[in-house]
Amino acid sequence: MTQALHSRPDVFDTVVVGAGVMGATTALFLARAGQKVALIDREDMFRAASGVNAGTLTLHMTRAQLIPHAIRGREMWLDSAEWLGEDVGALATPGLSMAFTEAEEELLRQRAHVRQEMGAPIEVLSAQEAIRIEPGVNPTLRAAAYCALDGHIPTYRVGGAYARALRQAGVTIIENSPVEGICPVTGGGYDVQMTGRAHPVRGRRIVLSTGAWLEKMLGWLGYDIPIRCLINQLVVTETLPPVMRSVLSIANGLLSLKQFANGSVLIGGGWQGEGNIHQGGTRVIPENLRGNVRLAQHVVPRLNEAQILRVWLGLESETPDAMPLIGALTPDDDAFVVGCVHSGFTSGPYMGRLLAERILGGDPDLGAFDPTRFSSLPATGTHP
Amino acid sequence: MSSPDFSPVTVIGGGIAGATSAIALSRHGFPVTLIDEQPVAGGQIFRAPSPYARRVVPPNHEFSGGDTLRQKLAASSVDVRFSTRVWGVSPTLTLDLLGPDGIDQLPAATLVVANGATERFLPFQGWTTPRIIGLAGASILMRNGGTLPGQSVVVAGSGPLLFSVAHQVLELGGRVVAIVDAGHRSDWLRLGAMLSLDPARLTQATSWMLRLRKAGIPIHHRAHISEAQETEAGLLLTVTEMDHPERRHLYAADAAACGYGLKPSTLITRTAGVHHRYDPIGGYLEPVTDNAGRTSRPDLYVTGDAAGVRGMAVARLRGLITAHAIAHDRGVISTETYETLTRTPLRQRRRLEAVSRRMLPLMNAGSAIPAHLQDDTIVCRCERVKAATLRSAIQAGAEDLNQLKAWTRCGMGPCQGRMCEDSARGLLAAACGKTPEEAGSFTARMPFFPLPLTAVTGDFTYSDIPLPKAAPL
Ligand SMILES: Cc1cc2nc3c(=O)[nH]c(=O)nc-3n(C[C@H](O)[C@H](O)[C@H](O)COP(=O)(O)OP(=O)(O)OC[C@H]3O[C@@H](n4cnc5c(N)ncnc54)[C@H](O)[C@@H]3O)c2cc1C
Repeated sequence: MTQALHSRPDVFDTVVVGAGVMGATTALFLARAGQKVALIDREDMFRAASGVNAGTLTLHMTRAQLIPHAIRGREMWLDSAEWLGEDVGALATPGLSMAFTEAEEELLRQRAHVRQEMGAPIEVLSAQEAIRIEPGVNPTLRAAAYCALDGHIPTYRVGGAYARALRQAGVTIIENSPVEGICPVTGGGYDVQMTGRAHPVRGRRIVLSTGAWLEKMLGWLGYDIPIRCLINQLVVTETLPPVMRSVLSIANGLLSLKQFANGSVLIGGGWQGEGNIHQGGTRVIPENLRGNVRLAQHVVPRLNEAQILRVWLGLESETPDAMPLIGALTPDDDAFVVGCVHSGFTSGPYMGRLLAERILGGDPDLGAFDPTRFSSLPATGTHP
Repeated sequence: MSSPDFSPVTVIGGGIAGATSAIALSRHGFPVTLIDEQPVAGGQIFRAPSPYARRVVPPNHEFSGGDTLRQKLAASSVDVRFSTRVWGVSPTLTLDLLGPDGIDQLPAATLVVANGATERFLPFQGWTTPRIIGLAGASILMRNGGTLPGQSVVVAGSGPLLFSVAHQVLELGGRVVAIVDAGHRSDWLRLGAMLSLDPARLTQATSWMLRLRKAGIPIHHRAHISEAQETEAGLLLTVTEMDHPERRHLYAADAAACGYGLKPSTLITRTAGVHHRYDPIGGYLEPVTDNAGRTSRPDLYVTGDAAGVRGMAVARLRGLITAHAIAHDRGVISTETYETLTRTPLRQRRRLEAVSRRMLPLMNAGSAIPAHLQDDTIVCRCERVKAATLRSAIQAGAEDLNQLKAWTRCGMGPCQGRMCEDSARGLLAAACGKTPEEAGSFTARMPFFPLPLTAVTGDFTYSDIPLPKAAPL
């Protein structure tokens, strides 16, 4: 699928660097609108956050300000057949976020309130009501926030679906080609250089969507935005008889628990592992494995019958204000970024589509995500 | 010589290589911990019969060898932790263990990995039917439990285990319906000609072959089981000749035992990050080692079949040589002493390895099978992934084994891909014209086997859980 690149480079309308959900969606909608698009990844596509995430379509764990986007993203996943070309198996379920202590109950109520204000249909239920909805939860709970609009998606089905859609839309996919430099070209556009490839790929514009690796790349364009890299832990069990039907969480957001159609239970919630994204290699912190799994077993006591099948870690990126970076990086409107979106798998298709719309000349509201908000560079300053 | 460093050594695997190494290391004066998942030492070859076995395969030199090894180990100062499995390893060589008392961690200053080999399995239409088991599994059933996999058995696959298993079936009074071997008869004859270098193997092979011949058991070379059907009378097995696919033979049997040779068990070494290479002759991934078992990772040694399948006799010598190498690397013995101690073992090993290397292509004789799997054949049993699903993911652009795993779930189940890695790799390589090495290998994940959740959680109350601070709102 990696197209041979000739010595005289083709000029793409847009070169997208980073083939996760953000970059791939942007590329897809640009190509569908008639652009000639290249999509580059350092590895195979969809192998970073977008290939290893928990697949929770959640409003409980989304940053309040991003709730409208998450609602739209969730809808897109549920109708993936419409716009992606195949049903990737997203399932709508309710979501319950639980409180076991007085302090947690207070946090729960406060957070539910803020999210309600942002449009999430969340209501706080008594313990009895929550147990009626989810009989398997620990009866010592005090209260639960209920959201009708949660769900989950079998992440593993997404990469292949995108690969087929992108190819059909005519996107040139270049895998296993780490981008190591981006040079502005006189007369406009950029040459994108990749390790192990003699010739750069030229684009009239570029989109940076390299997730946890954005910091360095933004640096090439003169931006100095410290991006924190989270190393999220996930644990999956062997298949079990049904023990839950909704997505379960706790008040402080540090648990996500659900059972897939095949019976396996996925335990997540952002407990951290250890690692260095530049050197590669991550490792499980035993206390965090124990803590995360204890929390899951506390919430659903029947998990004591489970066997842990696999533990893995994935990288997620976060800006200093924990809000996304989406928008133009240059006054010439020829370099863009999309990334650092909290719970970004849920809203990913929507965010990617918004950026494509922006690039195609539309005017979606991206004000809160403006990448220039951290820098002294004036939004309409000179070309770096 | 720098001052000797007697820091402790941890050995994983109490088979011939690991136990020999552990004993020799303790004689050099190291405190040694030996970890093995079985309740007693002996590994696969020297597996002790269960006290509850109904019948036992009559003892031969292998069993007496096992008893001697166990006695030596008991008499040594080696600290043995049996019934203990390694489920994870960190880059700093801290081992995650699951033992009779739950989970535990053990930091290893020096680690010897001697966890042996795993059977390679290649699928066929209907292989998930009950009463189809691996050759190694059948052997364990018979040696350890004295139980036949069925009264009548088709023994299929490749490599010397075919004949060993057939022999065991006969010993326990069963009937071998047919032996189906993917290897060329001429390769066996060439191997036979070399066996004078390894008299123990020669005697054994001759007695097995005479017996099988006398029993009039049909032997098909360059053939494989292509289909199994369950009937009321038992299994109906189709045997297809590899060079003439139109030539088929049907056999009815109670059970089939099928396996395609051995491959090194590499979950631990892969996770520890040592360099591996793909051995195209053996058709497997092996850690890169020098002749004493040193790897790319200082303080981590691999010995026995885990460093490349060479068989029992070589495993013992390797275990010994690795122990001496550690003593040398720690400054406990001089280079001259090392050379003196290893001269004979290295010479013996060279001779035996000439035979072992001939065995590799015979074990890997089924390598062409995965390319031709029928679309509706299940490749990954754990996740029920069929060949057609793999082919359509490959078509969509999954040209690397891990991408194929990510998109289809092939290899994500409880067996960690031990069963399907070889066939998925073979199918992928054939479909995109890559070498098996280019097709890649599954990334190993912890835990190495399904871990009871309560072993991790233990007894706790809610307030014991160190809840991280709330996620940003
Ligand atoms: C373990 C885990 C669990 C999660 N669970 C959920 C959840 O349940 N629900 C939810 O909504 N969100 C979840 N998320 C968040 C979500 O996965 C991410 O927000 C989202 O996938 C980010 O998409 P992305 O495209 O920005 O980044 P990524 O998917 O990381 O894509 C970035 C791509 O850029 C490539 N790249 C990097 N450097 C270079 C280079 N130099 N040259 C070329 N390419 C490069 C990478 O290889 C990668 O493919 C989770 C994240 C993790 C890590």
